Amino acid sequence: MNTFRNFITSIRSFLFETGELAFFAGRFFKEVFNRPFEWKEFARQCYHIGNKSLFLVAVTGFIIGLVFTLQSRPKMIELGAVAWLPSMVSISIIREIGPIITALICAGRIGSGIGAELGSMRVTEQIDAMEVSGTNPFKFLVVTRILATTLMIPLLVIMSDAVALFGSFLVENIKGDVSFTLYFDEVFRAIQFSDFFPATLKTFFFGFAIGLVGCYKGYYCKHGTAGVGKTANAAVVEASMLVFILDFTAVLVTDIFTS
Amino acid sequence: MEPFNVQRIKLGIFILTGTILFITGVYFIGKKQNMFGNTIELFAVFNNINGLKPGNNVRYSGINVGTVNEINMISDTVIVVTVTVEKEISRHIKKDSKCAITSDGLVGSMIINIIPGTEKSQKINPGDTIFSLSRIRTDQMLQTLSVTNENAALLTAEMLKIAEGIDDGKGLIGAIIKDPAITEDVRAIITNLKNTTNSSNLAINQLNKILTSLDRNDNLIGSLRDTTLAVKVKNIINNVEVSSVQISQILKQLETTISETRQTITNAREGKGAINYLSNDPTLVKKIDRTITHLDSTILEINQAGIQLNQNLDALKKTWLLRKQFKEEKK
Repeated sequence: MNTFRNFITSIRSFLFETGELAFFAGRFFKEVFNRPFEWKEFARQCYHIGNKSLFLVAVTGFIIGLVFTLQSRPKMIELGAVAWLPSMVSISIIREIGPIITALICAGRIGSGIGAELGSMRVTEQIDAMEVSGTNPFKFLVVTRILATTLMIPLLVIMSDAVALFGSFLVENIKGDVSFTLYFDEVFRAIQFSDFFPATLKTFFFGFAIGLVGCYKGYYCKHGTAGVGKTANAAVVEASMLVFILDFTAVLVTDIFTS
Repeated sequence: MEPFNVQRIKLGIFILTGTILFITGVYFIGKKQNMFGNTIELFAVFNNINGLKPGNNVRYSGINVGTVNEINMISDTVIVVTVTVEKEISRHIKKDSKCAITSDGLVGSMIINIIPGTEKSQKINPGDTIFSLSRIRTDQMLQTLSVTNENAALLTAEMLKIAEGIDDGKGLIGAIIKDPAITEDVRAIITNLKNTTNSSNLAINQLNKILTSLDRNDNLIGSLRDTTLAVKVKNIINNVEVSSVQISQILKQLETTISETRQTITNAREGKGAINYLSNDPTLVKKIDRTITHLDSTILEINQAGIQLNQNLDALKKTWLLRKQFKEEKK
């Protein structure tokens, strides 16, 4: 009976949180078009989210491209389809691996960062102080961060894709003696706009989801400093989950429109 | 903490790099799909497009020259595919070119292959239609393979029968393989062939020696290789030929003469002609002899009469009656 009650409580809690998140998103869309815009804070957040994540994302992308090609190559040679390796790797990276890996890394790094930052501001009553002083904390803290993640994550994904393809090219060049021109000619021959645009478009949603969850968790952080850690953790988990759900939805929608 | 301006510059570089990468990607993908180049639109007509999709490549003589734009089904047997082809390449495509839908490798996507037309034909214009070659489909291939398999099975069964027959010693091949006497004969033939081969080798060696000696000048044929001598010999042969012709003519004449002589002799023997009388009648001979004697004396008398006549004429010339007449004749 207790288990059932716990299950019901969880469902209620999940639905409550979903509703709150939707309300939070609605408030964001309401505030984003209201003046004045916090350009300075927005630029600062862009710098922290974009520039500061670039190295991590680039290294991860490079290793992914390298490893993916190294792992696929023997099997492709066995099948006699090694010439298709650039096409296969590029489609995989641009369509799926690049966006999802970058989004997950950003969910871990940025989502937790935003959650912890806003959470600590909430528990130390800095947000309350801002409200008292007449500053709109939602506009200053939340809108800028969500906008920054929404715009910066697609750029990070593009860079990560480029670096991953370069890593893949290095393996092909060293192991298979394929030139730069030939490799990227094969890559761009294989990729269609139907691969590139939906993959890029979904990264905006990934960025929005990461920013939204991070901000929501931090903005409504409770239970003091202990709650900050939990908030950061919950922000990462929920943002990652949301990224996967969005990815699945994007793939379904793309499949409907392209097939 | 970095100064805010430095942060902005770094952020600007980051955003610029990302945007450039994005635009580069879009440009190259679009370029591969002939979106930015100078292109023309053509139509290709098929009755089966074998899974061709918009965006698939169009190849001309193995070069990627365009992409498939649109596929429209006009009727249950006519499908019109709109393709975009680079204008630069399109000037090489002739109006009588044909197109076929093929697979880009075993596991590749479908492509339209434009097969070049004849040199005499005019170049293609925008909006022209290229007709397709009928392509053998997989099911047709499998159908043909099935027939081939059935034939192969029949053939194998027949081969098996033949093999069994051979094994039983039936027929010529069976006899050759199974009959020991034939085997011995074959062995003997092979031995003879070996001997013949050896003899042939020896003969060839001898022939080679002779041929080698022909290259030297110490024999007649070798000498003939000398050009001057060869010319002389040719002249001699020509002369001999001319002589032989002349001899031939003489021989013919001689033959005629002999024939005539023979006829004369035959006539004489048969008592025909004057020779018979001359040779067989002594009275005639005597008469001829007497006649010749009389003829001699008569000629002598005529000569004497002529001399006397000349004397008389000289005397007449000197007479006064005829002197004037002779002088006028003389003038």
